[in-house]
Amino acid sequence: MSEITLYDFELDENCYKVRLVLSVLGLSYRKVAVNMVPGREHLAPTLMALNPRGSLPILSDGEVVLSEAEAIMTYLARAYDHANTWLPVEPKAHGLVAMWLQFVIRDLDVAFLARRLAMFDEPGDEVALGVAARRAFRLMEDHMTAREFDRAAWFVGDKPSLADLALFPAIALSRDFGIEHEAYPALRRWMRRVRTVPGFMTMPGIPDYY
Amino acid sequence: METGWYPVALAEGLERGTSTGTRLFGSELVVWRDSAGASHVWEDRCPHRGMRLSFGFVRDNHIACLYHGWQYDTSAQCRYIPAHPDLAVPSTIRASTYPSVERLGIVWAYSELDSDAPAEITFAERSPVTPVRSLYVDASAAKVFDALVLAECPPLNNAGGATQRSRTDMLVSLRSGDDEILVAVQPLSDVETALHIVIAGSPDVHRGDSQKRVSAWGEALRREIEGAARHVGELRYEVAP
Repeated sequence: MSEITLYDFELDENCYKVRLVLSVLGLSYRKVAVNMVPGREHLAPTLMALNPRGSLPILSDGEVVLSEAEAIMTYLARAYDHANTWLPVEPKAHGLVAMWLQFVIRDLDVAFLARRLAMFDEPGDEVALGVAARRAFRLMEDHMTAREFDRAAWFVGDKPSLADLALFPAIALSRDFGIEHEAYPALRRWMRRVRTVPGFMTMPGIPDYY
Repeated sequence: METGWYPVALAEGLERGTSTGTRLFGSELVVWRDSAGASHVWEDRCPHRGMRLSFGFVRDNHIACLYHGWQYDTSAQCRYIPAHPDLAVPSTIRASTYPSVERLGIVWAYSELDSDAPAEITFAERSPVTPVRSLYVDASAAKVFDALVLAECPPLNNAGGATQRSRTDMLVSLRSGDDEILVAVQPLSDVETALHIVIAGSPDVHRGDSQKRVSAWGEALRREIEGAARHVGELRYEVAP
């Protein structure tokens, strides 16, 4: 069987999403450490050949080469989660997971940019990014508040899904860009639940102790 | 700031063995619940290096600082310093605390640090109550009260006519017939306020649909309160490049 290879930068939250999925699925893989900051190795010709976007993570699995965390997550779930719990097949649950993955890509991208600005001094409007990130976190908080009234623990359905894993890093790392968890009590409880998922792992900025 | 009792969290939302940071008029507080179920409100500051204790973690009946692991017991006395495991910790090393009490399903703190004679809380316990949610609003407490004195009690099971409103310190009651909701107002800063919302009545009756209705009512109230402030933001970003 071919070996899964992840081109990874330890401090990048999108690489972390893929590490999380690989871990909860119990998959072994080869990790190639890429010095994205300050080395900018992700723009080296060998990696640009794999991913012309010049972004991380990149995952290769035999003939398959993918970039973009959410695409890699759905690939891994479909390829290796034969029980289909992480990416449900049932239409409604599948649609809802897809909707939250789209939310991560579109609405939560501001949180990613805010963190890159704060951590790596990349360009951006700090105030505007902070306002937009808080707006996205509030939508998540309102959703999980409503879910708790139905005694539901996860963003979709009655089991953790790719939606929970993809949504987790931005809010768990929000202190990196100056947003406290004060205003998000339902998300705090949900984050504690995410930490109990078998195979869960942290990354720098997310404390092991909590 | 007037010295008195202020709400800082919904009691049910604060799980055993957890802590959270919050603010009162800009001062940072840690609210935590020990493994025996008692809640505590302290200054959010480790006496060692000033690190926020809410970044740390609760183990049994101690809260530990994330920075160097100093552990404090429920009386705020430091009991253990990992770098000096054999040291009997001097009694002078202690965190500063706020008097606190749980009432109406809400954790309340008295705003005077280390006070040994807090005033009596001015309203009675009513039980049972059904917790709804804590709602964080980008507006001053004054604006929140302005909106609450005009707010209608959302209809629950036994709605009956016009909304009767009353305020006792930071607590607002909205009543219609036998329906009543209580909103406790926490001034976080000059421009941010938390609303802790409960329904007067049993969870057996109100869990589920009533909670959802009151939560949606709260979100609408938040939109209304923030409405005026948000325009300023839009204008600001319209002129940005």
